[in-house]
Amino acid sequence: MKIVKNVLAAFSLKSEFAARRNKLYRIAYSWCHDSTLADDLAQEAIYKAIKNAAKLRDVNTLDTWLYRILFNCWQDYLRVKGRNVEFVEIHDDAQLEHDESYQQSQIVDRVRASIEKLPMPLREVVTLADFAGFSYAQIAEIIDVPVGTVMSRLFRARTNLKQQLLDFGSDELVEFKLRRVK
Amino acid sequence: MGANEITEDKLNLFIDKQLDTDEMNEIHQILLDDKNLRERVCQLKAVRELVGYAYSEVPPSRYEKEKEKNSNSVYVKAIAASVTLVVGVLLGWVSHQYVPGSMNTVSAENVFQYVANQVTVNHRQRKIVLHIDSSDVQVVDAALKEVDYLLATYRNANAPLKLDVVTNKTGIDILRSKVSPYVDRIQELATNDNVSFYACSRAIAKASKKDGLEVMMMPGVITHRTVKDLISDRLQHGWVYIKA
Repeated sequence: MKIVKNVLAAFSLKSEFAARRNKLYRIAYSWCHDSTLADDLAQEAIYKAIKNAAKLRDVNTLDTWLYRILFNCWQDYLRVKGRNVEFVEIHDDAQLEHDESYQQSQIVDRVRASIEKLPMPLREVVTLADFAGFSYAQIAEIIDVPVGTVMSRLFRARTNLKQQLLDFGSDELVEFKLRRVK
Repeated sequence: MGANEITEDKLNLFIDKQLDTDEMNEIHQILLDDKNLRERVCQLKAVRELVGYAYSEVPPSRYEKEKEKNSNSVYVKAIAASVTLVVGVLLGWVSHQYVPGSMNTVSAENVFQYVANQVTVNHRQRKIVLHIDSSDVQVVDAALKEVDYLLATYRNANAPLKLDVVTNKTGIDILRSKVSPYVDRIQELATNDNVSFYACSRAIAKASKKDGLEVMMMPGVITHRTVKDLISDRLQHGWVYIKA
């Protein structure tokens, strides 16, 4: 009976991981801005999670645990490639054919470009907080730093982004638009 | 605690609801009177929302592509619709400011307020409280344009909106029957668009005393003891605050 229970629990966890795959991919994408790499990182994180499922003590901490694995995969990648690796986002030009999509990509480009300029530790924290919606305590757990460090990184990241984005809707945006039209 | 004593890192904690209840309430109160602080909060909230927005639509992963082959994903469509709405609002605002004679009072506060408000529309009911504390024609016109704009945006997105317009100080004048030049407009908003209008009882009493006659409000206007309490209560319950 215990074996059946364990098997069922394993299946249940596997489906929990699969359900989170898309979100893992998106977070990974927000760090690396590369869809292939983000896909690989999400895949690797799921694989490691399944492999180490027995180590998960409390199912309530599943999200934090899973994202911590993803974060570690990302850190491993950076270690191998060198932390200063530069990611260049590949844009889908077909998107620009439609006005709406063009306008959408214009805003997204602007924000992502600002995020790209952040040092990686700030980028990681700000996306975990403001995109993934994790609390300070959860982020501290995921990236394995004190909560105070999370606060300080988040503060620095938002201050930096605010300065970059304050011109939103100003002449600079018009210039940006014109540059893209050329 | 004064507005100047509120540091940026404290505001970060405030928007993330990481302060204790007393501190949260204290800042909520200061926000009601301090435009500068509201602007700072709006900017920070906008940054937070924009980060979320920037990744609400990313290139599909291999896994998603496979899945999409098998079924036409409703989820992806929903996200696309929501993002389109946001962009519409953002660009709507951007073009809005270039229209001659449009809301001159628009400031960075409004830009970021809009961003902060609209990015998370996502088809859940959005509750917005619009505060008018002046009967100045420009302010009232701008506020009513804002009301029209919000209603149109949510209507186009087929997203539910609960909009309350609260007035105090001389702002109550726009709700006075036989006095307000906006009677028809306001009644139309109340009847057709389900906008609720509130007037501060204290302001009504003051106006009555000043004018030496009973101040009558239009039918349907709800009076509240103090509008500041009403706004404070709304803010604590997740409403979005816009100051005209």
